[in-house]
Amino acid sequence: MTWRVLLARLATALAITLCLGLIGLPLVALLLRVPAATLLVRLADPLVLAAIRLSLVTSLAAAGLIVLLGTPVAWLLATRDFRGKRVMEAVIDLPMVLPPTAAGVGLLLAFGRTGLAGRALASLGISLPFSTAAVVMAEAFVALPFFVGAAAAGFREVEPRYLDAAATLRASPGTTFFRVMLPLALPSVIAGATMSWARALGEFGATITFAGNLPGVTQTMPLAVYIALETDLDAAVALSVLLVVLSLTVLVAVRALPLGPAGLRRAHRDAR
Amino acid sequence: MLTATLAKRIGGVALAATFEVEAGSTLVLVGESGAGKTTLLRCLAGLVSPDEGRIVLDGRVWFDGTAGVSLPAWRREVGYLAQDYALFPHLSVQANVGFGLRAQGLDRRSVRSRVDATLERVGLSDLASRRPDQLSGGQQQRAALARALVLEPRLLLLDEPLSALDLQTRRAVRGELRRTLAGLPCATVYVTHNPVEAIVFGARIAVLEAGRISQVGAPDELLRRPRSPYVAEFMGVNLFRGTVAERDASGLARVRTPFGSVVAVDPGEPGDVLVALNPREVTLHLAPPAGSAQNVFSGRIVELVAEPPFGERVRVALDSTPPLVAEVTRHAVESLGLREGLEVHAAFKATGLVPYR
Repeated sequence: MTWRVLLARLATALAITLCLGLIGLPLVALLLRVPAATLLVRLADPLVLAAIRLSLVTSLAAAGLIVLLGTPVAWLLATRDFRGKRVMEAVIDLPMVLPPTAAGVGLLLAFGRTGLAGRALASLGISLPFSTAAVVMAEAFVALPFFVGAAAAGFREVEPRYLDAAATLRASPGTTFFRVMLPLALPSVIAGATMSWARALGEFGATITFAGNLPGVTQTMPLAVYIALETDLDAAVALSVLLVVLSLTVLVAVRALPLGPAGLRRAHRDAR
Repeated sequence: MLTATLAKRIGGVALAATFEVEAGSTLVLVGESGAGKTTLLRCLAGLVSPDEGRIVLDGRVWFDGTAGVSLPAWRREVGYLAQDYALFPHLSVQANVGFGLRAQGLDRRSVRSRVDATLERVGLSDLASRRPDQLSGGQQQRAALARALVLEPRLLLLDEPLSALDLQTRRAVRGELRRTLAGLPCATVYVTHNPVEAIVFGARIAVLEAGRISQVGAPDELLRRPRSPYVAEFMGVNLFRGTVAERDASGLARVRTPFGSVVAVDPGEPGDVLVALNPREVTLHLAPPAGSAQNVFSGRIVELVAEPPFGERVRVALDSTPPLVAEVTRHAVESLGLREGLEVHAAFKATGLVPYR
């Protein structure tokens, strides 16, 4: 083995070690710092419990909203070509890279008391900012692209011959969607919904900007971690560990899903 | 009854066809790959919109380019069997067959009884709960046919329904399919590129060449009077295209073709004619024959093919001018010692050649 090959191997090994260290070390540090004896007591604190409950409720509501509103968008992007499609795709993807605090400012300017849509809502007696509904909106905003991307990829993978077959069997476009396209793309749709739910669960910047930090109303787990960090490190650690466990579970579960029609076929084959 | 005139430019092919199919009868559509067969079927099914034309089924207008009428596929009473069957992979055989009825909003019990009856008819009752990928090719074909027939279509479209099957199953499934189609009240269009299937299924055969129908007729008509080299090749007969040159008093005429001339029955008047020659009328000889045959051509054997494989008849292709195919018995091949590269003389009688226009 020449020294060049050896050097290349060493450099590769070093890069991999550093990369894993960057991601893994904080996780290890968190686990080592867990106040084992008092973990459950910490999590049972009424304020912490309220944050957990609020996080679960808002993130599930956000995921539901995303599936409801994002499915038609994913269908449109997957099956139709139209002018401005690329722009639409970019806009949908934007929340993935946009700093969530900027998203929060945008939401405030749109739906705030004096915002574009906020004024109209206010005249109807609806005030969104600093409410639980605002939390759901902020979470939906940042998590939407995770669902739309996965669902559109799933719809795109459904072979047109099945849609043609459905059409010649007198199925209307709606029936074809619900009875052929959606079932065949279901693994991708579920994966997308789960990913967007996990993203909503971890949302911080847009929430604190648009919805504020009111315990029991808008203070979700990530916000509680941030606040606890200044007053009670053990509580912050306990909540962080809980978030790590939840997120990791979601990611492992999504990977276990058979993705797309190819995965579906694989699942059938394995079942035999 | 189906009446259709349609034009569609797609890829490199300009499809332009007019044809009719009576209710209860089958039109077999043949042609090389790329001739536009599948496009034509997809136009009829409503999966592709023709550029212009008119499709009328049992008095109902499905498509009219000038009037701007175009029913979507799901509003046409059509049955479409795709080449690969396209059974829904996520549904059982039963759910596949019941799909169309449920899409129409029929209640579960009626769906169940009609599905069961149809599965019984195609002999798939035992496999009703299987998934499509747990079926053999022949069973998939029957399931897909059942799925289309349970809706009692007015027009049934079959796109090379046997081509996905291996040879052994193909023969059995062909027989089944023929019996099933024979009893149907609907108009059927059957696409194939296999001559045997064309003859088995088609009371009428339409030949599609580069997007146009070059000939429509009964198999016998295509065999006796092929109108194009492709039709002749498809039916396995020799075809000469030429001009009546000399007519004599004995009722014979010399027809001049670009590759030499042949003596045929006098068509009664001069002009351009076609002459078809059944390969069975051609005899092969090692020395120039002395008999009564007016037409003798010599050439080298370029190919010997038994038809069917290991059958009693052998097709022998010569590089003579014009090129000829003869069909002789296996016994003749053996006694004459016929083999590729051998120089032989092919002879056929003028009385076997009846020119047509």
